[in-house]
Amino acid sequence: MIDCDVHHNFTSIKELSPWLEPTWRQYLDRGGYSGYSLPNYPWVHPSGFLMGDAAPPNGGIAGSDYDTMRSQLLDRWNAEYVVLNGEDILNVSCIPNHHFGRALARAYNRWTLETWLPQDDRLRASMVVDVEDPDGAVADIREFAQHPGVVQVLLPTGARRAYGDPFYHPVFEAAAEAGLPVAMHAGADGLGTNPPPTGAGYPRFYIEYHTLICSGAMAHLVSLLCSGLFERVPDLRLAVVETGVAWLPGVLWRLDANWKALRAEVPWVKTLPSETVQRQVRFTTQPLEQPANGTNLRKLLSAVDGMENMLMFATDYPHWDVDVATLVERRLPPEWSSKVMGENARSFYGLPVRDTEKAPA
Amino acid sequence: VNPAATGESVRVLREHELPPGGRRVVHALESTVALVNVGGRIFAFAERCPHAGGPLVHGRVSGAPLPTEREEYVWGREGRVLTCPWHGWQFDLESGRALFDSRVAVATYQVHVRDGWIEVSRR
Repeated sequence: MIDCDVHHNFTSIKELSPWLEPTWRQYLDRGGYSGYSLPNYPWVHPSGFLMGDAAPPNGGIAGSDYDTMRSQLLDRWNAEYVVLNGEDILNVSCIPNHHFGRALARAYNRWTLETWLPQDDRLRASMVVDVEDPDGAVADIREFAQHPGVVQVLLPTGARRAYGDPFYHPVFEAAAEAGLPVAMHAGADGLGTNPPPTGAGYPRFYIEYHTLICSGAMAHLVSLLCSGLFERVPDLRLAVVETGVAWLPGVLWRLDANWKALRAEVPWVKTLPSETVQRQVRFTTQPLEQPANGTNLRKLLSAVDGMENMLMFATDYPHWDVDVATLVERRLPPEWSSKVMGENARSFYGLPVRDTEKAPA
Repeated sequence: VNPAATGESVRVLREHELPPGGRRVVHALESTVALVNVGGRIFAFAERCPHAGGPLVHGRVSGAPLPTEREEYVWGREGRVLTCPWHGWQFDLESGRALFDSRVAVATYQVHVRDGWIEVSRR
């Protein structure tokens, strides 16, 4: 299998210090009251966001230790590749000081590429940018895209505006030009300088936030489709990550129907939105919805043309709501397995076929 | 002889019954046909929208923003765009094709004005 959403992490953000200029190193060491912490969720999972058994035996936070990840994920599930998406680093773009946000993003990218990727040929990395600093993000994309281990540009679903806004277009254009997809990962919604995560404001409870984890992605996807960016930049590809998938049929049906009646408002959108999605957008499966009768999920997803080509497997390791490969395969139509569990991601990220029987142990 | 099958023209209205701005529905060629006179040019088309059966004879005739390559509005096709009154699907009056997808269309008819009569025939 190819796992499109894995969260490696540093136990302390100070681990990024070697890749930071003194100005920012000081922020980490002495900033605020006792050193800097990235903006974090105001919602609390009562028993923790992380898998109960994923903490490394020698200390540190879940996701921070390669050997633990290797035994629990890479080897145990015979992974062909996994895409490393980091953890709270996704939140750099909701820090008000974008000089600092960009510096952290760059340091994180170097930390991932220099300390994680050399450990295992199965690891691939998303590069992080501070999307609220588009000029800086464009420069960073051009630089880090040169690294063969970088497979995509990672943005959070929490942002000051919807991603179809021309303010962000240079970031998407630069990714396409560099041959990288953009991934939009649930997170940073309602944090720092970002607006509330739902149209009804801030949820009171984590259970609400997590149930509505798709809401930001829905808004950004519709915004991007209505901006015409996919048509103007045919090489642009987007992965929507960690938002579940059962919302997709409804949104596509509504947008297609509305576009037929309202195209005069967006005359630069010349293709049926669902066809654009089929061509240029992919969705990771986790957290895959779990109706009481699994047949209903298969029916719902099968109702969208080409869905079997649009889904890419993801575990979300080491988060509490991890999806394991065997359960996901069982919940989807059996004939979709080879595509969803590997082929779609291999093709989307341009990964060479690997004989997993001979994968390093 | 069945004009609906042969493509022959049939008289449907006297010319003066459909002045500029006028709209009429007639039964001809085994169909219900809407006719509109847009500034002296007469268009004829099936009266029901292929989407949800909206009464196209009540549709507004206007132009529409043309397809563009970037985010800008360029008005065009003035007097050639029919908007269904029910859900807003728009059709080119000449071809009958929906503006959003040329594979979707409302049937249109050829119109001739001869000897004071408006005639329609199948395309």
